[in-house]
Amino acid sequence: MNPLEITLGIMTAVGGFVDISELVFAAKAGSTFGYALIWVFLLATIGIMTFAEMSGRVAAVARQPVFNLMRHRLGLKLGLITLFASVVSTLITCAAEIGGVGLILHYLTGAPYLLMATLGVILLAASIWVLPFQWIERTYGLLGLLMITFAVALVAIHPPWDKIAAGMVPQVPPGLSTKELLSFGYFSVAIVSAVMFPYETYFYSSGGIEEEWGPKDLPNNRLNCTVGFGLGSLLAMAILASSAQLFGPALVSPETPGTSALEAAIPLGRTGLLLALLGMLMAIGGAAVETCMANAYSVAQFFGWEWGRHKKPWEAPRFTLAWMICFLLALAIVLTNVDVMSLVEYAVLFSIIVLPLTYLPLMLLAGDKTYMRQYANGPLAKTIGWLFFAIVTLAAIAAIPLYLLTSGGQG
Amino acid sequence: MVRRSTLLALLLVAACSKGPEADLAYIGQARSLAAEWALVNRQAAVGKLTDHYVTTMRQQLRQQLQTVSSALTQPDSRYGLEIHALLTQPDDADPEELRSHADKLKQIEDGLESA
Repeated sequence: MNPLEITLGIMTAVGGFVDISELVFAAKAGSTFGYALIWVFLLATIGIMTFAEMSGRVAAVARQPVFNLMRHRLGLKLGLITLFASVVSTLITCAAEIGGVGLILHYLTGAPYLLMATLGVILLAASIWVLPFQWIERTYGLLGLLMITFAVALVAIHPPWDKIAAGMVPQVPPGLSTKELLSFGYFSVAIVSAVMFPYETYFYSSGGIEEEWGPKDLPNNRLNCTVGFGLGSLLAMAILASSAQLFGPALVSPETPGTSALEAAIPLGRTGLLLALLGMLMAIGGAAVETCMANAYSVAQFFGWEWGRHKKPWEAPRFTLAWMICFLLALAIVLTNVDVMSLVEYAVLFSIIVLPLTYLPLMLLAGDKTYMRQYANGPLAKTIGWLFFAIVTLAAIAAIPLYLLTSGGQG
Repeated sequence: MVRRSTLLALLLVAACSKGPEADLAYIGQARSLAAEWALVNRQAAVGKLTDHYVTTMRQQLRQQLQTVSSALTQPDSRYGLEIHALLTQPDDADPEELRSHADKLKQIEDGLESA
């Protein structure tokens, strides 16, 4: 693979990293707890890097989709439970992303929100139908790089860099009341879930097969996961830090993506606002495409159907029908006029519960020498993998009690 | 509109308590909405926002405030009247006026939290 392809891959990973949940929770976390939750973003980013690298490695070495291997490894019954749980959580996430697309188009045009959500789905579906896989990934990933506006905006407001750096050290702010501690716990769990959404690994590994990765692509896989996701995560941290600087002192607790866009407007004016909104549109639109396709990949791979965007849509009819149905169901959820931010919270809650079910089989597969030969997990990958498995399991157990005790982070 | 998931969670809490305690989360939301409205109007006044953005944000903020107001268990309380006063403000209200409502709600919120 040439350097241009590698650079494009990394840039795509950067632009495609942020989605509506990260946007909302980063801004809320910053306004509520200042810089104290930056380390959770950092930690969760190492987690998603680890598992995405494993899923890419499985795709490159075993040359089989993760869900197919999962069925063989877990058996039909447990495999079906995992499939069902991941499809439901990803469908809710897809609905949240579509709602986000509708909202951003609403801010940009002033046209009715539900109409914009419907138009958004039509445009997103058309892009999947028309574009080959690599260009689907690149279009949203590269245009999502407009999110860099948030990093520029952060620099423009001259934030306290020392406090941002201090926020990268694991901590619980001193002097919090019990209520605030619970809220801090809830935000931590929500951030871990939003960064480590299960659909990301399904989409990533299926993409590896779409692009016909082999063992020679393993260094590129590692670069995409570490550098690309790492830089993408910095954008989310920039949103958190700007929020801590601008919204916390202003008594604002951001509830919608529209509020996050103010972070760019305040230092950069109308141009900043428009660039931020367009970046959010492409990043959230890209996440909607990824969630929808991840569901189609999972179902098609589990049942052994023809799948992939390297084929013409009619050459893999059940796969094509699956992603279309996913989009239609997600749109139907949005059209009930359910609040987008509720969808974001449900997506985060459901996903954190599904995370252990997703990552345990993946870790077992990546460590299985029958499939992976000399590319099986080494001691470092095993240690980090088990550590993060323990973290997501604890987060999954704590998620619902924390949600109820804090009224969804409201305190 | 206030998030339905939040409302569900709040209702669970409210089922066990009534009055200012049960309304505390709503007061916090109203304070945030008032402060956000002030921020939008301040930036709009200096030409940093687009017209569509300003209109949609103001609509959203007013709708959310209305939902908060109708969910209060004590609408005639000091905070209830403060939220009602916010709702009587025009869309392009003076940012300082809006911010002063946010500050008053913050004081009430802090007072209830420390009680």
